[in-house]
Amino acid sequence: MTKKIVHTKKSPAAIGPYSQGNIAGGFLFTSGQLPINPENGNVPTSIEEQTKQVMDNLKAIVEEAGLTMENVVKCTVYIVDMNDFAIVNEIYATYFPENPPARATVEISALAKGALVEIDAIAAV
Amino acid sequence: MKTLVKLSFLFTLMLSYTACNQSQEAEESTKCCDHGGKVIVHTENSPKAIGPYSQGNIANGFLFTSGQLPIHPKTGEIPKGIEAQTVQVLENLKAIVEEAGATLENVVKCTVYLEDIGDFSIMNGVYGSYFKQNYPARATVEASLAKGALVEIDAIVALP
Repeated sequence: MTKKIVHTKKSPAAIGPYSQGNIAGGFLFTSGQLPINPENGNVPTSIEEQTKQVMDNLKAIVEEAGLTMENVVKCTVYIVDMNDFAIVNEIYATYFPENPPARATVEISALAKGALVEIDAIAAV
Repeated sequence: MKTLVKLSFLFTLMLSYTACNQSQEAEESTKCCDHGGKVIVHTENSPKAIGPYSQGNIANGFLFTSGQLPIHPKTGEIPKGIEAQTVQVLENLKAIVEEAGATLENVVKCTVYLEDIGDFSIMNGVYGSYFKQNYPARATVEASLAKGALVEIDAIVALP
């Protein structure tokens, strides 16, 4: 089984030795997306804006792979503060209006770049 | 005589019933493995599990590894410092990947758990010496780990 690397300028460049996404065996595996604006490298302040930026970055990778958000089967949501759960949910839901993917959400103690939220996904090609 | 015939008929029936059952079981076991049956991966070159988990599972062309801690498989020791720990974690991961007949080039996704996100760039340096091109996708988070480890990494691998 060979793997194909996914890269798009519509999602931020990797800040380490990783790819934005890998496709293999009928699945796309994305890297955890941070709330970095792909054009100016800025990280917005609020959890609302950060979640939106994370989801936009994720969507860009999914679309670069020729898929839509409907094809996502599993997400893992990492948040620094579990009190943000409801706000993250609200924004997350606008990207998955129906047939939402399976998901696990955990509170972790910190993320790279001081981010409040990071989300990765597995999508069925 | 009639009784003997009856008995032998019954015995034949019982035998064929047993044979049929056995062949059904054999068929089901093949079915299981053709349709997502999982294979457990184990190697002495990676530390034994410290709980009810396997080092890795293979199913549908993918290997799913457990999160690897920086435990030396022979001595059970954990080296000091993020650099040496990241090396040990990646050596343990590599051993499982190779036991499954793959190489680190076949890894499609890693999750990196750091005790201190401040170790991000040192971890990246070591990680980059194991994954030199066609990097896997990755997520990195800060979390508290077992055995007082500073780093743990798990992987999903597309088998060649």
